[in-house]
Amino acid sequence: MKLVRAMVVARKEWQEIRRDRLFLALCLVVPVVLMLLFGYGLSLDVENIPFAVVDHDDTPASRDYASHFSDSRYFDFRGRLADEGAIDRLVAANALRAVLVIPPGFGRDLAAGRSVRVQTVIDGTFPVRAMTMRGYVLAINAQASTGIALEWARAATGADERSLAALAQPVRLETRNLYNQPLRSVWSMAPKLIMVILMIAPPFLTVLGVVREKESGSIFNIYASTVSKAEFLLGKLVPYVVISLFNALLLFLLARYLFGAPFKGDPLFFALATAMYVVCTTGIGLVISVLVRTQTAAMVVVAIVTVVPAALYSGAIIPIESLSPAAAGVAHLLPAMYYAQVATGSFLKGVGWPVLWPNLLVLAGYAALLMAAGYLLFSKRPRT
Amino acid sequence: MAVAPAGEAVVRLRGLLKRYAARVAVDGVDLCVQRGRMHGLIGPDGAGKSSLMKIVAGVLTHDGGTVEVFGQAIASERDAERVKQRIGLMPQGLGQNLYAELSIEENIDFFARLRGVDEQALAARKRQLLAMTRLERFRDRPMKKLSGGMKQKLGLVCTLIHEPELIILDEPTTGVDPVSRRDFWAILDELVSVRGLTALVSTAYMDEAARFATATMMLGGRVLAEGTPAELLAALPATVVSVKCREQVEAQRRLGASFRDTILRGPWLRTVVDAVPGEDAPARARSAEARVREALAGLAIEALDVDAPDLEDLFIARAASAGVAAARFAPAPAPAKRMERTHAPDYNAIEARGLVRQFGDFRAVDQVSFTVKPGEIFGLLGANGAGKTTVIKMLNGIQPPNAGSGAVAGADMIRAPGQIKRRIGYMSQAFSLYLDMTVRENLRLFAAIYGVPRARRDERVRELMRLCDIEGIEDMLAGDLPMGRRQRLALACALVHEPEVVFLDEPTSGVDPVGRRRFWDILFRLARHEGVALLITTHYMSEAEQCDHISLLYAGRVVADASPEQLKAELAGRRGELWAFDTPTPQATVKALQAAGFAGASLYGTAVHVLDPDGATLPARVAGVLAPLGLQAGPPHRRPLTMEDVFVERVLELEREAAQ
Repeated sequence: MKLVRAMVVARKEWQEIRRDRLFLALCLVVPVVLMLLFGYGLSLDVENIPFAVVDHDDTPASRDYASHFSDSRYFDFRGRLADEGAIDRLVAANALRAVLVIPPGFGRDLAAGRSVRVQTVIDGTFPVRAMTMRGYVLAINAQASTGIALEWARAATGADERSLAALAQPVRLETRNLYNQPLRSVWSMAPKLIMVILMIAPPFLTVLGVVREKESGSIFNIYASTVSKAEFLLGKLVPYVVISLFNALLLFLLARYLFGAPFKGDPLFFALATAMYVVCTTGIGLVISVLVRTQTAAMVVVAIVTVVPAALYSGAIIPIESLSPAAAGVAHLLPAMYYAQVATGSFLKGVGWPVLWPNLLVLAGYAALLMAAGYLLFSKRPRT
Repeated sequence: MAVAPAGEAVVRLRGLLKRYAARVAVDGVDLCVQRGRMHGLIGPDGAGKSSLMKIVAGVLTHDGGTVEVFGQAIASERDAERVKQRIGLMPQGLGQNLYAELSIEENIDFFARLRGVDEQALAARKRQLLAMTRLERFRDRPMKKLSGGMKQKLGLVCTLIHEPELIILDEPTTGVDPVSRRDFWAILDELVSVRGLTALVSTAYMDEAARFATATMMLGGRVLAEGTPAELLAALPATVVSVKCREQVEAQRRLGASFRDTILRGPWLRTVVDAVPGEDAPARARSAEARVREALAGLAIEALDVDAPDLEDLFIARAASAGVAAARFAPAPAPAKRMERTHAPDYNAIEARGLVRQFGDFRAVDQVSFTVKPGEIFGLLGANGAGKTTVIKMLNGIQPPNAGSGAVAGADMIRAPGQIKRRIGYMSQAFSLYLDMTVRENLRLFAAIYGVPRARRDERVRELMRLCDIEGIEDMLAGDLPMGRRQRLALACALVHEPEVVFLDEPTSGVDPVGRRRFWDILFRLARHEGVALLITTHYMSEAEQCDHISLLYAGRVVADASPEQLKAELAGRRGELWAFDTPTPQATVKALQAAGFAGASLYGTAVHVLDPDGATLPARVAGVLAPLGLQAGPPHRRPLTMEDVFVERVLELEREAAQ
C-alpha cells in the first residue's frame, strides 16, 4: 500500500466536500443542530406541572393544605375549579396534568381529629411522567400530613416541636446524589447525546460519500485503476473521520459550556475513546455503503441501523439494567453502550483508564472488525 | 510505448456469458479486437454492450466463457489487476464519472495521480492532451460548468492520462451535439492511427458504425452481425427504394403489405426491398424498382430514388431473422374513424413567436419562433442543453417566457395555460408510467385523470391499444414490458383525451431501432390519419429525416428551420454535394485536404468526406493535393447528405461568424 495514493484519494474527496456547500453544511451543521434540539428538547425533568384545585371545602385548613402543592416548584398552579365537571376536558386539552380535589368538610373533620380523604387526578398518558407526578404528590401529602399530625400532637400534649418531630419520624432520610447532585437531566443527557450523534452522523456522511460515487459511476474510475482497495478505502474514509472528530470536539464544547455538564475525567482518555468510536461508526457506514447501491437505500439502512441502537440499546434513555435480559444482551453486542459508559464516566464520574479500559478495547475491536468487513466486502470487480 | 505488431489480439472473448439474477445480459458472445484498431459495439440500450465492456475492463465478473486481455486470462480480481494499468475505461453517462466540483485540471491530476503518473510526465501529457482537445483555455473551470461536448473530451483526457494501450469508451457520443461528436471522432481517429492505440467503443447510433475499422452489432446480449462496415453492408442483399406519392396513406398501406420494412420520411416513403437470390447488383436495383412500381400500380408516383441500404436497415433485417424482436410491421390499419377537425387554412396547431427564457445571466432560449400545422410532424433538434426542453415547457404553459408569445391548440400560452394542458398530450423521456400496474390499468387511470367520460373509457382504451399496437398484453405489468412496448404504452397514455397536439420529449432514447420504427409508424398514423400535430425532440439525426419540418436549436437559438429536404438541398446548393473517398492513409489525407481548403473535409472510418459542388473535376483536384505528398485516394462516390451534415455545417458557419 502506498500512502501517497491514499492521500490522492483523500485530497480529491476533501476538495469535493469543501466545494459542495450543501454537503459541507450538512457535515458541520447537522450534528450541532441535533445536539441543540435534543439537549433542549429531551429533558426528562418533570417540573411546572399545570395544576388546579377543586376545593369543595374552602376553609383556611383546605387552602393551607392546597398551598403545599401550589407553592412547590414542581407544580404550576393554574387556578381553582368550581367542580370536577371541567377536569376531563381540561386534562384532555393538556391545559392541566394534575388536579387536587378536596371534599367538603375537610377543615371540620381535621379539626375534629378525623382522618380525611383527598383525591388527586393525574394525567397518565406518559407512565414515566405519571409515576414521577405521583411521587411528588405522595411526598407533598406526607409532608403536609406530618405537619398536621404534629399540630395535633402539640395541641394534645404540649410537648415541644423538636421532640415531637423525632417521635413522628424516628428515621430521617438524607439523600446525596453522587455525580449529578442537582439531578439535572441535561447533565447526564449531554454526554449521551454525544454518543447518539456520533453514532448517526459519521455513517451518514460515509454512505453519502461512497454511494454517491457508485450512483454516478465514478466508482468505475477506482475499479478500473490500479489503486489498491486499502489505498482507496483509507483515502476515502480519512476525510470523513476527520470531519467527525471535529464534530466530536464541537459537541464536547456544547455539552461542557452550553449545557454546563461538568467534565471530571481524563481528557486524553476521552479523546482516544471518542476517536475509536468515530472510526467504529464510520466503519458501520463503510459496510453499509459496500452493500447498497443507491443513496436513498443507504440512508434508510443507516437510519435503522444507527438510530434504534443508539437510542434504545445504549442506556441513553433507558438504563441497561431496566432492559429485558434479551434487550440487555443486544445492548452488550453493540458499540453504543460501551461508548455511552465512557462518555458518562468521563463527564460525570471522573473515571478513566483504570475503570474504562475494557470499553476502549471493545471499541477498538469493533472498529477493526467493521473496517475488515468493509475491506473484504468491497470488490474492485463486483458481480453487478 | 512498445507497439506490438498489428494483428495481435488485444481482447479475445469466447462464449462470454453474464447474468444479473435471472436476466441474461450477455449471451455467448465471441469477440476479437486487434491491436491498433478501433472496434465498435453497436446496439440499443440493454444489448449487453456495457456489461461486455466492464468485463473486459476487469470491473465486472462474468458467469461463463473466457476473457483474455493482453493475453492474460481474466478470471479473478487478481488477474484483472495485472492488466488494469494498460487499460483506460470511460464508463457510460456524459461526465458522470468525472467530479463535478473539481476543475478540468484537478480532474486530470486526480486521474493521473491515482494511476501513479509522475508529475513531470503528467505536466507534459496534460499540456499535449489539453491542446489536442482544445480545452486549454478552460483549465480552471469546474467540471459541472462544462458543456456536454467538453465533458466528453475531458472524460477522454482523463482516460488517456496514464497512456493506456487499450481504451474502452462506453457510449461516449450519446447526448452530445453532432459538431462535438464529429470533433470527438476526429480526436479518437488520430489517437488510434497515430499512437497505435486500440479502442473498444460502443454507440447506440447505427450511423456511427461506419466510423469503426471493425464493428459488432448486438441485440439482446447476442451478436447480430460483425465485420468491417463494408462487409456489414455487403451482408444485406437489399435495395432501398424511396418514392414520393401524393396518396401517401394508400401507398404506405400497399408497400407495408408487400415489403418487410417501410417508413415515411416527410413526403417520401422509404422501402427496403430484399433481393431475389441470384441477382447481381445492377439487376437487383432494377428488379427492386420494378417490384415497388408494381405494388403501387395505379397510384401517381411523383419521384423515385434507388439507394443502397444503410447499417440501420441491416440491424433491422438481422433483428428480424434472429427473432429477437418481431420486426415485421403490421400494415397500418385503416383509420377507425377519420377525425373531423376543421380549421381555417392559416390555422397553426403550435405557434411560437420570439420566445425568450432567461435563467440568471444564462439565456436558455433566445428568440425562438416556429409554427406547426395540424397533421405535421415537427422535429425540434439540438444537443443536450440546447434549450429543447425549456421551449416545450413554455409552450405547455408550465414555464412563462420572459419575452415572446405563442399559442398551442388555439389557446394562448400566457393567458390560457390551463386550456393548453387539457388540449395537448405530453410524453416524456421518463415515460411516467405506473410500473406496478398493468397496461389496461395504466390506460384506465390516465383516462380517468384526463376526464374521459366513464361511458367512453373502455371504448377509448380499446382504440388506443389497437392504434399503439399493444393489443394482447393488456394484463401485463408495465414494468415487465420491454422498452419498445413500454414506450408505445406511454404514447397511448398521452393520447387518452384525443389531444389535437402531442409533445414528445426524446421519446425514443434507449429504444432499439426496430422499436423506433414501429413507434414512428404510429406517429405517422396519428399525423396523417387523424390530423394530430406532433412536436418531437430527438438527438438521433436519422430520426430527424423522418420529420416533415425541423428546427435546429443551437445554444438556445433556431439556426435552421425548414423541411429536411429543403435543408439538404440548401446545403448542396451552397457548399456542394457530399463525396466520399476510400484511402489507405485517412489521417494524412484528411489533414492534407483540410489544409488545401476542401470544405467539410472529415474522417469517416477509412473514408474521407468532403463537400464539393463539382464532382467532375474533384478527382483531379484531390489528386493534385495528395500526389505531391505521396498520398493516394480512390475515386469519389457521391453520398446522400444527412441531417448531421446540415447541422454540423450550419453550426460551424455560425461559429466562424461569431469568431469574426
